[in-house]
Amino acid sequence: MRHCDSELHVSGRSEYVDDVAPPANLLHAAIFGSPVAHGIIRSLDTSKALEVPGVIAAFTFDDIPGEGYIGQIVADEPLFADKKVVFHNQPIAMIIANSHEAARKGTLACSTKIEELPAITCPREAFKQGEILQELRVFEKGDVDSIWDSCDHVITGKVDLGGQEHMYLETNRCRAVPMEDGQIKVFSSTQSPSATQKTIASVLGIPMNKVEVDVKRLGGGFGGKEDQATQWACMAALAARSLNKPVQIVLNRVDDMQMTGKRHPYKQDFKIGLTKEGKILAFEVDHYQNSGAFMDLSNPVLERTCLHSTNSYAIENVRIRAVPCRTNLPSNTAYRGFGGPQGMFPLEAAIAEAAKELCVERDWLQSQNIAQGGYTFHYGQNLEDNRLKQTWDQAVADFDLEGLRSRTKEYNDTHTMSKKGFALMPVCFGISFTKTFLNQGSSLVHVYTDGTVNVTTGGIEMGQGISSNMIAICSRIFGINHERIRCNSTNTSRIANISPSAASATSDLNGNATIIACREILSGMKKVVAKELKCDASEISIKDGQVYCGENATELDWNTLVLKSYFSRVQLMAHGFYAPPNISFDPIKGWGRPFHYYTYGTCLVEATVDCLRGTYSIDAAKVVHDLGRGIIPTVDLGQVEGGLAQGIGWVTLEELKYADDGRLLSFALSNYKCPDGDFLPDDLEVKFLENVDNPGGPLGSKAVGEPPFMYGIAAYFAIRNAIDSFSSTNEDEIKCPMTPEQTLHLLYPNFEYD
Amino acid sequence: MTRLSLQVNGENRFVENIDPSTPLLWVLRDHLGLVGTKYGCGKGLCGSCTVHVGGKAMRSCSLPVSSAADQEITTIEGLAKSNEELHPLQDAWIEQDVPQCGYCQAGQLMSAAALLKEKPKPNNTDIDAAMSGNICRCGTYQRIRKAIHSVAEKGGVA
Repeated sequence: MRHCDSELHVSGRSEYVDDVAPPANLLHAAIFGSPVAHGIIRSLDTSKALEVPGVIAAFTFDDIPGEGYIGQIVADEPLFADKKVVFHNQPIAMIIANSHEAARKGTLACSTKIEELPAITCPREAFKQGEILQELRVFEKGDVDSIWDSCDHVITGKVDLGGQEHMYLETNRCRAVPMEDGQIKVFSSTQSPSATQKTIASVLGIPMNKVEVDVKRLGGGFGGKEDQATQWACMAALAARSLNKPVQIVLNRVDDMQMTGKRHPYKQDFKIGLTKEGKILAFEVDHYQNSGAFMDLSNPVLERTCLHSTNSYAIENVRIRAVPCRTNLPSNTAYRGFGGPQGMFPLEAAIAEAAKELCVERDWLQSQNIAQGGYTFHYGQNLEDNRLKQTWDQAVADFDLEGLRSRTKEYNDTHTMSKKGFALMPVCFGISFTKTFLNQGSSLVHVYTDGTVNVTTGGIEMGQGISSNMIAICSRIFGINHERIRCNSTNTSRIANISPSAASATSDLNGNATIIACREILSGMKKVVAKELKCDASEISIKDGQVYCGENATELDWNTLVLKSYFSRVQLMAHGFYAPPNISFDPIKGWGRPFHYYTYGTCLVEATVDCLRGTYSIDAAKVVHDLGRGIIPTVDLGQVEGGLAQGIGWVTLEELKYADDGRLLSFALSNYKCPDGDFLPDDLEVKFLENVDNPGGPLGSKAVGEPPFMYGIAAYFAIRNAIDSFSSTNEDEIKCPMTPEQTLHLLYPNFEYD
Repeated sequence: MTRLSLQVNGENRFVENIDPSTPLLWVLRDHLGLVGTKYGCGKGLCGSCTVHVGGKAMRSCSLPVSSAADQEITTIEGLAKSNEELHPLQDAWIEQDVPQCGYCQAGQLMSAAALLKEKPKPNNTDIDAAMSGNICRCGTYQRIRKAIHSVAEKGGVA
């Protein structure tokens, strides 16, 4: 089986929010944003906008009938600026018109007078000024303070870790349609339909049962539409309900980039202590998270940063301190990896620095410290198997690390202005929402009398292949061809209280729920025919649409079974609910078993640096990944390839630049570089661990959405490894991404600039 | 405001009351209902809106409709010969399971089809040069390349 929507996608027939034929009298919204990043609103005038031909209405904070503040964790974000502005282009007003163009013209006619205040863009500065969103969090294991003296080497350093624009090709958008009796139906490009439903209800001051949110598919999400698709849906719903007309909002690219948050940038301090034999005895890291203006998801993102700060390594003495710092940027938010990559980076940097001091290879130091089965992480969870080390060992052997080492040395010895480097990156990524309550999935399976099946789950199709996975699961459990099964849009009227499609857990949670639903239907069907077949219901199975009694095929096929069940008044639809057992986490103590299991893998990246220009090529990326028993091979592989591509982009080309006054300077694809096909390595090889199972995942599968992102970190250290053969790097602050500009700085550290 | 005649996917289409500077993308989507072509950036930087104008791959988001008025326009809806017979690239896309979220894929296919018309047997460098303006955030590039090669090996798109 393949991706179920392929044929629609390649023929241009797959529909996104604004592709569906517009309802009559559809109105369009555009947003007037703040011209400055921080200030007090002294006056606001939207009257001129109303004089623009086609403009129908303007909405501001004062026009919100219900709660004006939104937010899933803390309701601290005004839907429109409330007396003050806290980031550049923060929505102040919404203009509604009979065309998108007229609405845009309307926003240009809006004016505001703002008393400007100093803007903070650096989290260290925010911390210094007491601008924090919650108190400092501390995770500790062992006794860090008493161990430094017994270390042979102690190395400290600073990290300046950049953020990342989601750059989903489909910008945020939503269409809201008023229905009878004050109800509203919302078609949104969101990863969180229930959060959208709840927030709309709150903003409009109406009960949740009057709001229906429907999501067919997203043109990419990557975390950027987990929490930050909500406000646009609320705005469309507000206008639709107020004007009693359907309203559509489609952000243009620049607005989307300036008005929505990104992967959190961090500033970090690390300290690592080792024996002369290369054993890491202690690791300490302070994370200053650049949270942006509001809480959004900064708290759980920071939590995962803390949990993954030791990544794949066994360290007995650990202290992690972390604080979300309020800055004058749009609220930074979820992004594939959800703080995990930011947690893992400083330790990888520390290991690279330590390797230099110990005069050993970085990968040797990594291998000496990889965690094995039985190790207890600093938050209390045990590593229960040895598959992490297995991926490392297989990568070293299968990708001929020693051969690569000697080839690289030979190349570097014979080339003066071109240098090669490589790096390995092990990944141990915990699967589950760390907010334990979110770990629940639901599925609604319908079997119709013609033998076809519809499945609806809480999973949002955003390219990761959740719909295909749900169809594959139904197909396997029912024993019928996947062509008989469709996956429906995700809809809050069919599935209640949906957890966001996030944390890589969507397939696990909703897939297991689908298995439960399918089995319930099957159980009733089997009882109907057991008598007739003169066998026990437990002996009945279905293979390729044929009913079997034990090993023997009967004359009954699926369709007949369905009809017999229907005429026997047996239930042919079921709702399955799944909550993974054995997980719990006390966020106050920072202790428990937050993860259902871990997804593991190891990646090797090779790079060549042009030492004259600072440019580089990523020559190869090779991965050994633990997938358990994959559900659909091409879909799973696509997640690994895509995650890796984004991860490589994060640490190399993708650089967010903010001016000191808080304006985003990289606000379009002309000044923000995403990896393209030319940049990504020609030599890309992905191997899956063979003959491995995972009792925690549906059909033995493992979650795959996020873990491969962190393989990309290897690209950063491969480039540094190449640079090390040319110049000696010893910067005050390790900067990521390693743009060509940054590479040039490191190649020529003593160059004097005019 | 003016009335324009367009040749789209082999049909004569008329658009009334149109500002001739309107980007072709919005005429296709809003006036002609051809929504397979997508808005990505509005500045010709992402490739999502790629269509063929006079046989060449063009970014419809930044092309005034008036400059496409007397040329043959092909969109993703017109790439296949018929509903029953897909373009060889579309078949290859399905075979390689290229699309993830799917949003950029119409543009990817239109760029690839223009490339194969010009260079029936492209090497990797040709493919990278022709396709590097088409961003896929899901990262399907490897498969796109494989799909293009597979069509070239099977005899191209002629």
